[in-house]
Amino acid sequence: MNRHLLVAACAAFLAACAAKDTKPVPKADPPYVFPHSPHVDGDVDCKACHGSIVNSSRLEARVRHVGLPRKNSDTCNGCHDDKDFQDKIKLAIPPRTRAFDVRFDHKAHLARPGVVCTTCHKAPPEAGQAVAARVSMSACTSCHNHQADFTAARCTPCHVDLKRYEKPVAAFRHAGDFLRTHGSLARPTAETCAQCHDQTFCADCHSATTAAARPSILYPEAVQRDFIHRGDYQSRHMIDAGANPASCRKCHGSAFCEACHTQRNLTQFSPIQPQNPHPAGWGTDKAGGNFHGTAARKNIVACAGCHDSAGSAICVRCHMVGGIGGNPHPASWNRDADEIPKNAMCRACHG
Amino acid sequence: MRTTPRTFAAALVLASAAVARAEVIDASATTVVTAGQQLRGALPGVTPGLDTVAPVYELISLQAHDLRNPLFQNLEVVVAGWASYDTADRRWNSGSTDNFTGDLTAGYVRGQLFSRALTLRLGRAYVAAGAGRMLQLDGGDLLLRLPGGLSLSAFGGAPVAQRFRTRAGEQSWNPAGGDLAYGGRLGWTLPLPGVYGRGLDIGASYVEVTDAKLTVKDPTDPAGLRTFTDGGGNVVRQDAGLDFRLQPGAALVLTASGTYALAAGRVAELNAAALWTASERVFVTADFKRLAPDLFLSQNSILSVFTDRERTDLGGGVRWQATQATSLGADYHVLVEPTGEGGKTELGHEAAARAEWEAGHSRLGAELSYLVAGALGTGQNGYVGGRVFGRRDLGRAFVTGDVQLHSFKQEINGTKLAVQGTLSAGYALAGGWSAVVAGRAGVTPFLEQQADLLVKLVYNQTYRVREVK
Repeated sequence: MNRHLLVAACAAFLAACAAKDTKPVPKADPPYVFPHSPHVDGDVDCKACHGSIVNSSRLEARVRHVGLPRKNSDTCNGCHDDKDFQDKIKLAIPPRTRAFDVRFDHKAHLARPGVVCTTCHKAPPEAGQAVAARVSMSACTSCHNHQADFTAARCTPCHVDLKRYEKPVAAFRHAGDFLRTHGSLARPTAETCAQCHDQTFCADCHSATTAAARPSILYPEAVQRDFIHRGDYQSRHMIDAGANPASCRKCHGSAFCEACHTQRNLTQFSPIQPQNPHPAGWGTDKAGGNFHGTAARKNIVACAGCHDSAGSAICVRCHMVGGIGGNPHPASWNRDADEIPKNAMCRACHG
Repeated sequence: MRTTPRTFAAALVLASAAVARAEVIDASATTVVTAGQQLRGALPGVTPGLDTVAPVYELISLQAHDLRNPLFQNLEVVVAGWASYDTADRRWNSGSTDNFTGDLTAGYVRGQLFSRALTLRLGRAYVAAGAGRMLQLDGGDLLLRLPGGLSLSAFGGAPVAQRFRTRAGEQSWNPAGGDLAYGGRLGWTLPLPGVYGRGLDIGASYVEVTDAKLTVKDPTDPAGLRTFTDGGGNVVRQDAGLDFRLQPGAALVLTASGTYALAAGRVAELNAAALWTASERVFVTADFKRLAPDLFLSQNSILSVFTDRERTDLGGGVRWQATQATSLGADYHVLVEPTGEGGKTELGHEAAARAEWEAGHSRLGAELSYLVAGALGTGQNGYVGGRVFGRRDLGRAFVTGDVQLHSFKQEINGTKLAVQGTLSAGYALAGGWSAVVAGRAGVTPFLEQQADLLVKLVYNQTYRVREVK
């Protein structure tokens, strides 16, 4: 039944992608054709060509707000001696097709005293330039104090969508060993992370329970990325687990470990006699250096990799009240005795 | 933990249909075919066997933003899932006893109300804030932004297990261990004028996970047939957390967080880090972490009663952008590990270094790693690792290479060396399609010779249904 639903979901996905009213976004616009800098240097009013921008209250992908001056107008002839130059250069403004990354009201801003085009557009594009220089956010913050919005991760009122930025910038720079530090940063500011990252991005590494395969298997070509568990991790996993067992437990339940250990014939769940991975003296030789109690105190999570769901049968046999294993609790054990009758785990020994 | 998956599959179908009305849609579909071998166990003294595994995967991902609707702002639908079929032997990590299987890695609907003051989310998602510890839930959460920089978030749901019936043949891989989780976080932010990011964030959070019903074998029954059955509601995890971030200026960020396990009456986790942009070219980090691994076990596991040892790691790193093309970095952490005897500890060491060069269409990198946790002995090992990698873009095509070597301090399965190399090549086809072929070969402690092949066809596209207002 469920496989049918999964197939139906895949079909719905494909149907959604083929929806008629969706249009793929072009990769790039044609290069700019107008040499802006000599005109800016010549104090030509931007509105001579971009007159309609003063009435634009929103940015639209297909609108450039360009209207070249009439032939032989004073605007051009003030500098250009050749009256027919416009016919000779045949300046054709290509349409803009890419959507904007920000929401902006030119009409409201240009109506304010002291605000001119170059207040924000410090470096207008030149002829041949493929992409215009992005207006720096300091142009906005020189007038607006957006600190509260920034701290509250309210980027989207101005930014259409941060998810398509190629690299994190400025305060969001993911420098250093970001694999190690990103968790500490996310705890107080998870909403800030969500401004750029859907949880599908987190799921690449954090969905050990439901993932298809680990990311380094699915993306072998991404050689520059800091993937966890890259390469032959089977040989290294027990070393990493010994160094930081809690880290494993954040993503992997005991049954995940058992799924492999069972097939490797390393657990009591194996269909045939398990290979005993424990050294000699494991059971009772306290002085020999291989005693199981010492190992358990050191790294109980390693025990859980095979024995978590059978702990009551294996451990309790000796460690129950009156058993030969004695009291297994550490010195700091301070659970309330009232918990015993309520908790099946306690009753296993204290029943 | 084995509730019906129909709701989730239905949600997936609905979400997929809904995206046609979205303003911006990121869509991705990836078909992957791999072929290789996996080791299986055998009787003691008998050579282990090899199984040939050749799964075919289909991974899909959809993020639809700004869905048109009369109620919510920024309404988005996010779905990511996969299905696979094992054409040869079944791989160990499918989580299934069936050749055909699949799961949902993320899937939620999220929207904002009241001028973005209230954010609601419903579906399969992570709890990342506070003491959530990336708890993956099937449920819902909300975030309410209050005046004065206060915020309140709450969540509730069932910790994620493999719910689809095609995956029901294996035990639950749910790391949380319980059936019901809920909690929340109260936060306060103080934005400081000046550069972006400058400010203070403080939060207090609470997470509780309980189980539904527990059946435990009676150890006093020699036949092993008698069981205790618990009515449920036992605490699997009950943590209170504090978190903190301070950015006093443009160059420095300080973070700290801690989790206190209420049921055990002990600190489960302490973290602190300082991130300093010393100059445009130099970035320095220092961090401290103390963990109690037993408190990361489900607290209804009998194993959680046996130990109280803590582990600490302390260290830092430096990144230096030496030239525009070259970056260098190194990290070192000392690991303070319990010996298992009383309160005694021993020291381990973890170090890494990385150099990367990128110019034009080429990228080269090299990495070194070193890990020894405590004194070497039975059950304790370490390694020195090295890796070189490179990528060359050739117009619409690319090639990459990656070689990894690990030398172990003590023998694993009779050998001390693991080497693995991967070569891949890809080509960007038209219309958002691309193809990748990769081959991997190596010699490892568990496989004297290893070879895998991967073929991948990817579709990646962004659609805009209408113009941005």
